[in-house]
Amino acid sequence: MINLAKRDIEHTLGKFIVTAMGVGMLLGIVLIMIGVYRGMMVDAEILLDDISADLWIVQEDTLGPFAESSRVHEDLKDIIYVTEGIDKSEAMTFQNIQLPHRDKPVRVVAVGYDIYGSINPINPKRLIAGRELKNDHYEIVVTDKTGFNLDEKIKLGRNLYTVVGITHSTVSNGGDPLVYISLKDAQDLQFSYSNKEIQNNEARGIKNSEAFMVNVIVARLKSGYDVDEVAQEIKKWQHKSVYTAVQQKTILTKNLIEKSAKQIGLFTAILVIVSTIIIALIIYTMTLEKMKEISIMKLMGLPNSLIISMIVKETLLLGVFAFIFGNIFSHLVYDKFPKRIVLEIPDAWGLFGVVIIASILASFVGVKKVISADPASAIGG
Amino acid sequence: MSKQSAIKVQNLVKNFGKDESLIKVIENASFEIQKGELVALIAPSGAGKTTLLMMIGCVQEPTSGEIWLGEEKVYDNGWSAKDTRKIRREKIGFIFQAHYLIPFLNIIENVTLLPQTNGVSEKAAKQKAMELLEYLEIADKAYSMSSQLSGGQNQRVAIARALANNPEIILADEPTAALDAQRSISVIKMLKKIAREQNVAIITVTHDDRILPYFDKIMKIENRGIVFHELGEDKIL
Repeated sequence: MINLAKRDIEHTLGKFIVTAMGVGMLLGIVLIMIGVYRGMMVDAEILLDDISADLWIVQEDTLGPFAESSRVHEDLKDIIYVTEGIDKSEAMTFQNIQLPHRDKPVRVVAVGYDIYGSINPINPKRLIAGRELKNDHYEIVVTDKTGFNLDEKIKLGRNLYTVVGITHSTVSNGGDPLVYISLKDAQDLQFSYSNKEIQNNEARGIKNSEAFMVNVIVARLKSGYDVDEVAQEIKKWQHKSVYTAVQQKTILTKNLIEKSAKQIGLFTAILVIVSTIIIALIIYTMTLEKMKEISIMKLMGLPNSLIISMIVKETLLLGVFAFIFGNIFSHLVYDKFPKRIVLEIPDAWGLFGVVIIASILASFVGVKKVISADPASAIGG
Repeated sequence: MSKQSAIKVQNLVKNFGKDESLIKVIENASFEIQKGELVALIAPSGAGKTTLLMMIGCVQEPTSGEIWLGEEKVYDNGWSAKDTRKIRREKIGFIFQAHYLIPFLNIIENVTLLPQTNGVSEKAAKQKAMELLEYLEIADKAYSMSSQLSGGQNQRVAIARALANNPEIILADEPTAALDAQRSISVIKMLKKIAREQNVAIITVTHDDRILPYFDKIMKIENRGIVFHELGEDKIL
């Protein structure tokens, strides 16, 4: 039996391909939107995974250090260290700063850590050039996306920092590139005041002891200890909020990303609906263009099923080709976006399923038109 | 019913509307056309030519009456088969004012589409199509698209398509409307040859007086009934 859909598409191949490419670009944007969400999830977990802490001890009643601000004393790390079950504990700071760059400032998140400590937030696998921090002051490790080169000098606060190492693919949960500085430099940047400010504070009776504050104490457990029990113990005696790695991940992914995810999800849904409407309109137009032929076919006695099958096959093929073009498009452009886009095969297959359902729904408008076509209209007069 | 009868109509009635808005288009029309005959259907515009053609073609349902196609009674105050399209694709061929070939199919596919839908194998349908295309002297264009053919060539393909399902009758709706006198006569001569050689009845709606002498019979709708005129009579025009 003649494949009417194939013949029709072959007859208007150029138009079909251009149409599929147009719809494909829309589907490509859908894939990229999903990729943005996946990227946010990955970004949110990078720092957590690199630090690889079992416990996050932060200011009481806060969701710190990422979702809410948190301040704890640096020496808390020593108290935590002697808690039963704790193997390692270190103090860390996280702060948003803006680095002056050649053409425009770069917004980054600076991670401050004790360079002699037992927990290093720099994952050696991600270090692509240079080295880690070795000196207490004025050294910085940057992410490649910041655009800085090794040995480049960066003015940070009142001091010049030298780039000693470059990491790849290290970003904060917000997608900003990470830079690493020593804890002492970070505390200076975050908590030290100018002399005038200190005098002013002292005149008001405020003591300037914040230079020994940090944002979080991270800890790793000895093997054989239950993380929840140790967390409970610290919470009970130290009056701090304590989060396990899983809880911290949840805070980041659910609390921080949930709204963005909903927004992206809504955009994605709207784009899918728009794509469906566009496919439906294209199929409707394609069917309208063939109404005379459809009337003739019905008059000649061709069954509806044959004509409907042609319309449905054409719609599905349009969907499939658009999906292929969408994938090609998204893979061509995804790395041009400033934030991380993660394109995953299961997402693509999920979209494929949606496209097939959308195509079937879209074909209904063409099918309705076919059913309503009057064979008598083929006879003039 | 004669063995050679291609179509027989008895007491055919077609009304539109009802009560005060009732319009009677065809009233108790009865006629019979034999296989091999070429018949012209004439009438002023609005007299019911297309309505009659669509009723014979099982496209529009009559109000009442009986219709035989060949030996099968297809209408007896109701269609004999639920699927009138099946009757059309098995017993009737259609030719239109324009060729109306399916533009995305090549010539041979246009001719084989209907037989294949009827269950004829692709090979057998192609063989029959080639025979018809050769018969209509257009076989060399079998694998061309209709857009590559002239109007006259396309009209011959349309005739081949109408013959492809071995119909009892061919209904032609003004097939010469777009042609000049010479070509119109040529097409009608061809239809007459086909009617004779393929043993099929052809009913042709026409407004073209110049081609009427070439028909076997002239069927005219007069006062909502059918009147046959033999050729040569003055009153036919």
